[in-house]
Amino acid sequence: MGHLSNDEFFTKLAELFDSRKGKDHGHIFLTQKRLSYDQPPLPEPTSDTILPDLHPPRPLPVLIRATNGKGKEDRAKKIKLSTVVDPEALPAFFERYADVCKAGMATLKPRDRSKRKTKAKKKKTTTAAVGA
Amino acid sequence: MPHYAKSEEWLRESQLLLEARPTTVSSPRPFASICHLSLFPSPFPDPVQTRITTKYAIKVPKVRKPKTTDADADNDTPVPTAKPARGSLTFKTYDPISGVTLKYRTSKAAEVSRLIMCLGKLSRPMAGLPELKDEIMTDAPAGEGEGGTPAAEKSEAAATTSAAPPAAQQQTPAGGGGGKGKKKKGKK
Repeated sequence: MGHLSNDEFFTKLAELFDSRKGKDHGHIFLTQKRLSYDQPPLPEPTSDTILPDLHPPRPLPVLIRATNGKGKEDRAKKIKLSTVVDPEALPAFFERYADVCKAGMATLKPRDRSKRKTKAKKKKTTTAAVGA
Repeated sequence: MPHYAKSEEWLRESQLLLEARPTTVSSPRPFASICHLSLFPSPFPDPVQTRITTKYAIKVPKVRKPKTTDADADNDTPVPTAKPARGSLTFKTYDPISGVTLKYRTSKAAEVSRLIMCLGKLSRPMAGLPELKDEIMTDAPAGEGEGGTPAAEKSEAAATTSAAPPAAQQQTPAGGGGGKGKKKKGKK
């Protein structure tokens, strides 16, 4: 499957998260790594740079994948998404990525505000007592 | 396989791993050609990249069977499954050749956006870009934990300096922010 453009990837990823909404089980896997396939070859290692991959002559793109982890007998239901992010687009991409993930991961524990509320209540009661 | 309790530790270790080994085989060609000639299959067919896998898992928490004295009661009452599904988020940095695995797990929604921005930070060594010099940013929350008042003063000062250039309309929210800071001081 070919790579999606970044915009398509986000819409599909949102759909993928939505497909798990309201369900009580399931997984979504997100992977990221350097894309070194089909890229200009790295310079040969020299005595100065034994590992040329540490400092590539130009920054390499990053491959992002998303899947619902279906395999084996469920392979027909498998959803695989992938996109390539250029090094210049990384900060903007991850900002949108964070928004999509935050919206999609609805079953995570929400921030616990009960403690703060009880604290506030306590304060009110104490001040009332002082006033009276 | 270390499981880190703090996301900062996981971020730091992952950063070091990715900086040290963004791909595991630096020069696959000579290696591969030698291995093709030999009887053994090539152990390094391609450069292998260190990857970060984020697993978002939704599961129903296990319901403990209530301990009942008589067996008949079990059959009549169905097990209550009122508990809502709980999600968890696991971040894993993995280098396939050396087998280094660094993990961090959370179930808090409040951490999601921060952690995804961590992924963004970690994508820089992946892409081969130098690390951003934002050490001041990362140091700020630590300082806040140690001494509350100087950090509050700093933020207040930042608010006033940032609000100073624009017109008078924006001064009212800045004043409100300053007031908040003062209140906090009073509390402490």
